[in-house]
Amino acid sequence: MLRLGKVSETRDTSIRLRDLLLLRGGGWLLAFLLGAVTLLSVVGLLAISGWFITAAAVAGTATAAAIGFDYFRPAALIRLCAIVRTAGRYGERLASHDTALGLLKDLRCRLFRALGKKPLQSAVSTAHYRAAKAMHRLITDIDHLDQVVLRALLPWGWSGLMVAAVMGGLYWLNSTLLWAALPGLLIAWLGLPLLAVWRGIRQARRDAEFAERRRVALLDPLAAITSLVLWGRWPDIRQRVKGEDINFLQQQERQFSLASLTTAMQQVALGSSIIGVLWQAEVLMHTGALTVPILLAAVLAILALGEILAPLASSFLALGASLAARDRLNALINADESRPSPPVTWSGAVPLTWQLEACQLTARLPGALTGPQDIHLSLKSGEILCLQGPSGCGKSTLLQVLAGELAPLSGHYWLNGQPPEHWPLLKTIGYLPQQWDVFDMSLAENLRLGDEGASDDTLWGVLNDMALGTWARGLPQGLNTPLGEYGAAVSGGQARRIALGRVLLTRRPILLLDEPLAGLDTITRHHVVDSLVRRTQKGILVISSHVPLVLPEHRTHYLPMLEEGRPGVSPLTWRHQKEACADLRARAMK
Amino acid sequence: MKVKPIMSGVTDSTDPQQLLGRCIAPHRWWLRGALLLALFSVVLLIIQSWLLATLFHHWLQLWQGTEAARYQSGVLFGLIICLVLRPLLQAGREWLSRQASQRARIALRSQLLEQLERLGPARRHLGSDGALGTQVLEQVDALDGYISRYRVQSLLAVMVPCLVAAVVAFYSPLSAGLMLATAPLVPLFMVLVGRAAASASQQQFSALARMGGRFLDLVRGMATLTRMGATAQAEDSVADASEAYRTRTMRVLKLAFLSSAVLEFFAALAIALVALYLGLGLLGLLPWAKGEVPVPYQGALFILLLAPEFYAPLRQLGADYHARAEATGAMLSLSPLLEAGTWQPQGQQPSAKVRVEPLHLACHELAVCGEGGRLRLAPLSLMLAAGERLLIQGESGVGKSSFLEALLGFSAYQGSVMVNGCELSQWPGDVWRCQLGYLGQQPPVLGGSIAENLRLACPDKTDTELIEALEWVGLWPILVRGDGLFTRLGERGQGLSGGQLQRLGLAQLLLRDAALWLFDEPTAHLDPDSAWQLNTLIGRLSRGRSVIIVSHESVGLEWVEHRRVLTSGRGIPCCG
Repeated sequence: MLRLGKVSETRDTSIRLRDLLLLRGGGWLLAFLLGAVTLLSVVGLLAISGWFITAAAVAGTATAAAIGFDYFRPAALIRLCAIVRTAGRYGERLASHDTALGLLKDLRCRLFRALGKKPLQSAVSTAHYRAAKAMHRLITDIDHLDQVVLRALLPWGWSGLMVAAVMGGLYWLNSTLLWAALPGLLIAWLGLPLLAVWRGIRQARRDAEFAERRRVALLDPLAAITSLVLWGRWPDIRQRVKGEDINFLQQQERQFSLASLTTAMQQVALGSSIIGVLWQAEVLMHTGALTVPILLAAVLAILALGEILAPLASSFLALGASLAARDRLNALINADESRPSPPVTWSGAVPLTWQLEACQLTARLPGALTGPQDIHLSLKSGEILCLQGPSGCGKSTLLQVLAGELAPLSGHYWLNGQPPEHWPLLKTIGYLPQQWDVFDMSLAENLRLGDEGASDDTLWGVLNDMALGTWARGLPQGLNTPLGEYGAAVSGGQARRIALGRVLLTRRPILLLDEPLAGLDTITRHHVVDSLVRRTQKGILVISSHVPLVLPEHRTHYLPMLEEGRPGVSPLTWRHQKEACADLRARAMK
Repeated sequence: MKVKPIMSGVTDSTDPQQLLGRCIAPHRWWLRGALLLALFSVVLLIIQSWLLATLFHHWLQLWQGTEAARYQSGVLFGLIICLVLRPLLQAGREWLSRQASQRARIALRSQLLEQLERLGPARRHLGSDGALGTQVLEQVDALDGYISRYRVQSLLAVMVPCLVAAVVAFYSPLSAGLMLATAPLVPLFMVLVGRAAASASQQQFSALARMGGRFLDLVRGMATLTRMGATAQAEDSVADASEAYRTRTMRVLKLAFLSSAVLEFFAALAIALVALYLGLGLLGLLPWAKGEVPVPYQGALFILLLAPEFYAPLRQLGADYHARAEATGAMLSLSPLLEAGTWQPQGQQPSAKVRVEPLHLACHELAVCGEGGRLRLAPLSLMLAAGERLLIQGESGVGKSSFLEALLGFSAYQGSVMVNGCELSQWPGDVWRCQLGYLGQQPPVLGGSIAENLRLACPDKTDTELIEALEWVGLWPILVRGDGLFTRLGERGQGLSGGQLQRLGLAQLLLRDAALWLFDEPTAHLDPDSAWQLNTLIGRLSRGRSVIIVSHESVGLEWVEHRRVLTSGRGIPCCG
């Protein structure tokens, strides 16, 4: 039999910052070019206008030259700049937003694929409500990722280009001017923003953490507010929330004042460039190396840089937020892959008969105080095991272990004498946990998740077996009825049976069902149990239930569990299990 | 005795702008300071432009040899002051605005938290805890942009153009006229842009919610999809939803950006026109003034330098316009919570120490009204002697929870509730609360250790007393296997099962030792087995106490002395 080695895919699925640029390289390039043209015309509009009126003043007062003064070309250039500036900005905004949306789409798909490749037990370790919160976080985190390009990378690119253009222009006019302006320009363009990034990025990355602390400080007590008010404890809570609120606001204030100060210093540095240029110009004009119109154009160009460099001061905010989002997403993708995932592809034949054996199996969910202890099992094809016991005794945890989604703390578990990782669990075990999902799709689409190629007849067969046939035939849209978000269009009992039918459609030889019949009336329950028993004649069925079930005596074993997770004392089965376990251990030793 | 309902729950729909104004009013001096700094900065800019124009005018004349060289250190010095001072003023303005915004938000949040305290269990009429939490946190923060940017900017957008136009008019009335002529177009388009942006952002938001919903739906069910081996099918669905969202958003954005592009175009065009007018004027080529120079060079340059500044505040306001829409929306969603009427017992605080005594309760024609005079609880009369236990049942919506709210002292009522011969509304609020123990569907368990949670109810109990209470509810044997009293619970009691958590809630009640225990569906989230266990346990522990338990099931509740089924008060006229 072939066992595929675990391919190290974590490297490929992690999100790196450069991916954000590379994934939609063409789109970003277009947005960058359009933005660059826009900014050139912003600077051009001011500089050419300044040059034009100064030149006009020179020409106009020397009347003889006025006739020869070509005013058409500058006038046309000024109008062109005005138009390009408008159109360019429009185009740039469209291009960048389109690209950002495309990037988000790519990221969502990629993340979805990465999450789908994760072994299941890590998904189990988060309680449901927690997961819901984490999921919400996931969506906002993805949306943060495009910020790094929109608010950090593109502005840096544009400002680099414009600073280079202005510096080139100054050098072309006179290298003395460049040297006069250079220190201020470099400080405003690189020095201060990089300083801000260095000082601020760690703070910016911690933003979400502060927000989360504040949220927890409010939401947990809010659920208990009535008792807390009765006990006179709410003022304490209010103080605590206020404290966290102030922490959060101060954390933001530190960043905003850093950004604000950086912007101010940038403007001062640009001002020093202008003063430097003016200082040098006086000397140069005496020597005739510089004309007044050109000088004015240069000064106006430097002035216009102010608006272009300003976004750099706050780029660390976007950078920090994106980095933090990336880290959280990567942590989610790469979280606890301590256990190898079962082989996905399987070339060997799946055996026809199965034997499920467990010996002294003990397991706990992370953070749980109780769980199944010392469980012994021995089942073969055609047999049914019914787990019984009060809630919290570990029935669900035991089923998770059997499904291969939770590693046991101690004890052994074999399928046909091999550890479960050996088998392609996707073809072997059909597991229906207590928290099943019905998706916001049609009834047929929901069922076909179990078997993509199932015919309508097959679907109707399953629906009939689940006592849903009459209901479904009565629906105006029949199989195409949308089930709504969280399966809102169907009742809890119906949703549960749809999920059960979906598991049956996968036709897997071992079925592990956790409370599949809760909330059903007696007649429906009998009908569904009969169908289950009939459909699993050749397989193994493990079922947990609060309510007593009518199961065929000759096929069924019962495992009562006590509250602390031990198997209940049922002398007959107990002795039987002890013997089986000794037998198993002896075999394992060999 | 008839008590007038003070809490009506009726909210006069106050204008959100008015609410915003009220919430900013105490902090207006910060904003006025910010406005002052911004105006000062504009004055400096005007001076700076004038200095630059003077300098270049001098150089031009020097260059043409019409004027002798003068040392320009005074002008340069003035320029340095302007160039240094303006950015600092801007930073100061931002700091003042942020202070105003932070203070206003902290104050508003405190107000909301106090309001929640007064509402107690009645908060459920205003939304789920998650939604209320979002209101207190995110919606309040959504006011930031309005307070710290829009408020001052909206004043600047009027003042600065007027100031600039006035200065420009001094040199060239025509240029000022040209600017002022295009100026009204700006607000016009801003409103258009604002409206387009608002509807765009709204549409985009709903589209985003839909797309996010699909994504969330599938990610949440990832375990199921993996178990089914159907992740590839689902990924296609994610891609489709994202692509649809992208197309729809781009369609909206094309329109929204177009309107702001028109605004931008007018600003650019006006600058270009002013430049051409001034340039051609200097050449003496204006058709209506051939051979004349209407604006001399110094004035022309001065105007050109100021022209972008004329439009800058308006453009900035356009960019901040969505902050106003955001704040209005947030305020609108906050107003029900902010303005909800509250009620509590009115009695005077006694000087003596509060004593817990056996309670004798008599309700006569007790009724509770909700918003719009809708009857939440139909008139109800019942008696409960000290130490008696009562089970209340009835279909949902019949007013069971409202009855408990009234008894808890969070809701105004009609009719009378006599407790030990004294009307409930005449009890001092604190004293009344000390008489009560309450356990709802979810126990008041926070993140932290078991001991911390128990001491939440009663801070001065010793470890032994805590352990005793835990033994009473049967939790101690389970906790011993963890860290005993120091066993840590996650958020909302993660680590214990639902039934175990409710038992922890019972332990809290035992420690408080109240005279009247009120239970609101304590077993609603439990499976039948645990529900039976919990109900039996409540019966065992509550012997000798007055108990009112609201529950939809009666399994395990055989110990109650009285049972009452509430029926809806149809046919009884509404109050209010």
